[in-house]
Amino acid sequence: MMVKRNLIRILIGAEIMGNGVNIALVAVSIYSPAFSFVGQGLIILVISVAAAHTALAMVLMLIYNRRYNTVDLGTPIALEDDEHV
Amino acid sequence: MMQVDIWFEQLEFVLIAGIVIFLAWLALEHRDIVYAAFFFGFMASFVAGFYLLLEAPFIAGMQIAVYTGGISALIVFAVLLLPRAQDSSLETFASPRRRRIGLVISSLVGMLSAALALFFPWYETFSPDLPPLEFNLELLSQWLWSEHGIYVMMTALILLTAIVGAIAILQMDKAESLISIEGEFGIESVEEPIDDEASIEEPSEEVGNE
Repeated sequence: MMVKRNLIRILIGAEIMGNGVNIALVAVSIYSPAFSFVGQGLIILVISVAAAHTALAMVLMLIYNRRYNTVDLGTPIALEDDEHV
Repeated sequence: MMQVDIWFEQLEFVLIAGIVIFLAWLALEHRDIVYAAFFFGFMASFVAGFYLLLEAPFIAGMQIAVYTGGISALIVFAVLLLPRAQDSSLETFASPRRRRIGLVISSLVGMLSAALALFFPWYETFSPDLPPLEFNLELLSQWLWSEHGIYVMMTALILLTAIVGAIAILQMDKAESLISIEGEFGIESVEEPIDDEASIEEPSEEVGNE
């Protein structure tokens, strides 16, 4: 995710990391009886919020694309530099 | 027999972990971004296998419904809506330095995680008695709706707010880029935002000149 500049690939990377955290939380909650339902309830909340933030990220990507006509981070800065030169 | 079950479970875990890692790598590195989005959807489906192994079938169902059905579909929509989504910056802006930094950081994080998993006595913090898994879903739903129903409603509210907010942001941006339309009663929409005073004054001058 760190080496990517394409916004969609960055979003996919963030989702993959979120999946990893979810697996760790479920594993801890299953092997710890005191934390069992708290962990699973937390995962339900996290998955719902992940869906919401993905929708928001997509809208922000659309706006970025309308404004700069690209989804590559860094391209607008490069174009501005060219204009100044 | 018990030993065979444990081996079979470990084999399942290794198999699913291998497939998930391979699909995650393809989702990030495949040249065609449409294929990358589909590989992400397949990866999310296989992650549900981990939840099934961990005896959490409700979370597995939710994972498939939300990630495979919802989020990967959203990513495919994003690819279709963005005409230049296919432009990969790696070809245009090749940066070996960034790749090396990413490789070093990911190696460090991987080594730290492996060291924690292998040397930290995490298993001592857990009780050997597992919860009654056969009633897991029923107990979970009771726990969610009877004791913490307010949090479920808050989750629904967050989802609704996010979706309405997303639509509102999109419409605001659209309203800013309106082109002028001349109707029977003068100009009905202007290029600039409505709160801009100059754009409101201009049409009246034109009407006066005529």
